[in-house]
Amino acid sequence: MTARLRVDWPSCRARGLCHEVLPELVDLDEWGYPVVGGEVTPDLLDDARAAVRMCPRLALRLEP
Amino acid sequence: MSASPVAASDHPLVRSGPALLEGLDGGRGLTAHRRQYGELPRLGLDDLLATLARVRLRGRGGAAFPFETKLRTAAAGRRPVVVVNLSEGEPASAKDCGLATTRPHLVLDGAVVTARALGARELHVVVPRDRPGVGAAMRVAVGERDDRMRTVVHTADSRFVAGQARAVLELMAGRPNLPVTAWSPEAVAGHRGRPTLLSNAETWAQVGRLVLSGVRSYAALGTAEEPGTTLLTLSGPEPTVVEVELGTPWRDVLPATWADRPVLVGGFHGSWVRWEDLTAGRVSVDAMRAAGTPLGAGALVCPADCPVTFTARVVDYLAGQSARRCGPCLNGLPALATALRAVSDGTGPTDRVESLAALVVGRGACAHPDGTVRLVRSLLATFPAEIAAHGASRCAS
Repeated sequence: MTARLRVDWPSCRARGLCHEVLPELVDLDEWGYPVVGGEVTPDLLDDARAAVRMCPRLALRLEP
Repeated sequence: MSASPVAASDHPLVRSGPALLEGLDGGRGLTAHRRQYGELPRLGLDDLLATLARVRLRGRGGAAFPFETKLRTAAAGRRPVVVVNLSEGEPASAKDCGLATTRPHLVLDGAVVTARALGARELHVVVPRDRPGVGAAMRVAVGERDDRMRTVVHTADSRFVAGQARAVLELMAGRPNLPVTAWSPEAVAGHRGRPTLLSNAETWAQVGRLVLSGVRSYAALGTAEEPGTTLLTLSGPEPTVVEVELGTPWRDVLPATWADRPVLVGGFHGSWVRWEDLTAGRVSVDAMRAAGTPLGAGALVCPADCPVTFTARVVDYLAGQSARRCGPCLNGLPALATALRAVSDGTGPTDRVESLAALVVGRGACAHPDGTVRLVRSLLATFPAEIAAHGASRCAS
């Protein structure tokens, strides 16, 4: 089962924690905003949940 | 902030047409409207859904989403809300404005018949601040009616993205009139979490015309696959709203003065089409979408300056119209505008434009970055020779 990481763009302020927690999937653009590289595979699910939990702006969601 | 290369009009020239714009001479009052169309029938939800399905009515705000599907979704939830969106944020479009000032009761009839079928008791009418004639016309029209429905008129900000569905719902909720992330469709969870059927004025007028005149009359125009008519805005010094049957050859629609010049189809979030390609085809939602140049909300622009220069001006304007909330749009669109200006001046490469376009697309709460990218990419794809001429400072115009 794969899930999708969605960014709530108006809430995001480029803090970059998602990239720290989940570098396999989240890159940062030239202004520091996340570029989500694809679907969340089962092996990355725990890290993705951590990224959602740790976002200081609560700007990430995991969708089925 | 750059001004729009095309000014938003609140008094477009509205030409009479075969359906929505038939019999304009009678004026826009309720008495004349009832004389022309008769009383508004009451339809149950199932009858209305069946009627809509028979003509495959699609939304006219740009996405061409099947209206029946949207209605069915809204009907599945509790205490639905109906919204008439007249806040045309796109300056090159004036069709909803043209309807408000000539056919306000056709618009309201479509919304009221649908609200009744849904059991909705609230009707919201959203008008644009920068086109005061629209609000004035709609307020008079609402005042003339006795629909036994709570009707609220809201005034949207003068901003390109203010008419976007989620931005309109924010306005209705008393928050800033700016887009927010949609976690589910409006028809599922919209105004205060309730199912919300939000459509633009032309969509409601099409529904009104359909229930007042009947399926047979509605489908007598257009083609078997795409029955009925559509409104177009021919942008220019005097913006003109025309109604044409779906399936009409483009060469019969476009002004002779536009001959042999490229046309921007679908407004500032639209696509460039060469004259010879456009006039080889017909006015069709499906065919235009298949060609990769969707009709959008039906705004057509034929600028006097060359498409490279004009696009650079439009992107400058669109960059300034960002709600400034989503990082990729706030940072990416001004960078895109700068890169495109460099291409236009012959001082920069198209590579930077292409990489910025790929970077901002799909990364915002609303479709503003995506629409801007569609315009930029269509410029690069349609006019490689013209862009090269600019690069060598040899633009012909």
